[in-house]
Amino acid sequence: MKLTSKKNGNELTVQLSGEMNTMTAPELSALLAKELGGVKKLILDFAECDYVSSAGLRVLLATFKQMSQAKGSMELVNVGVNFRNVLKNTGLDAVFGIF
Amino acid sequence: MGEESFLRIPARLEGMDLILSFVSYLLDAHGCTPQARTQLRMAVEELYVNVTLYAYPSGEEGWAEIRGCVENGTATFRLIDGGVPFNPLEKEDPDIMLSGEERGIGGLGIYMVKTMVDEVEYEYRDGCNQLLLKRKI
Repeated sequence: MKLTSKKNGNELTVQLSGEMNTMTAPELSALLAKELGGVKKLILDFAECDYVSSAGLRVLLATFKQMSQAKGSMELVNVGVNFRNVLKNTGLDAVFGIF
Repeated sequence: MGEESFLRIPARLEGMDLILSFVSYLLDAHGCTPQARTQLRMAVEELYVNVTLYAYPSGEEGWAEIRGCVENGTATFRLIDGGVPFNPLEKEDPDIMLSGEERGIGGLGIYMVKTMVDEVEYEYRDGCNQLLLKRKI
């Protein structure tokens, strides 16, 4: 998986490219552990990532909880058909902000 | 039953790419839709992860085998291991109505499998765990 991050003040945007699976989800976790300090708005761009397995959902849920505790927000943007189905089937479409 | 292909490897997490390549190779050879391809890959991923984590006692090197075929527009995969008898499908489904704050961060994998395929069955046969997946492609 390729991750590209851009910080603008207290806003962090991460573009994901490839598959977020058991092997690659820790890469996003590691990047966020490094970059998330002080961030109030996190935008995760899934334009080039439409495969998110439960390992990816774990990272997203943990990050969502972290952002909520810090009174920040997390948005998922450019969500594709497959990922949207996964979010719907797991009820996470009602939890995350999806655009 | 159509001609069945199979792959047997050590049951390690690093084998995931091989297992998923096997799934893709078989599906691509039969003109699978992108959505069915993704969902079958994800279902196999979730089940294979379980095998690498729980099938064998810590420190014991085990094996995992995947068998697959496509017939009449339906793909069938069987994931087999020689580990301790364990039916992951008996795991209670998570409460998907909970808010983000109320949720644990795990426990979604097996539930996702059930939502992504048409049939999933477990059987303990000949000393092996066998999980059967079927989905129209």
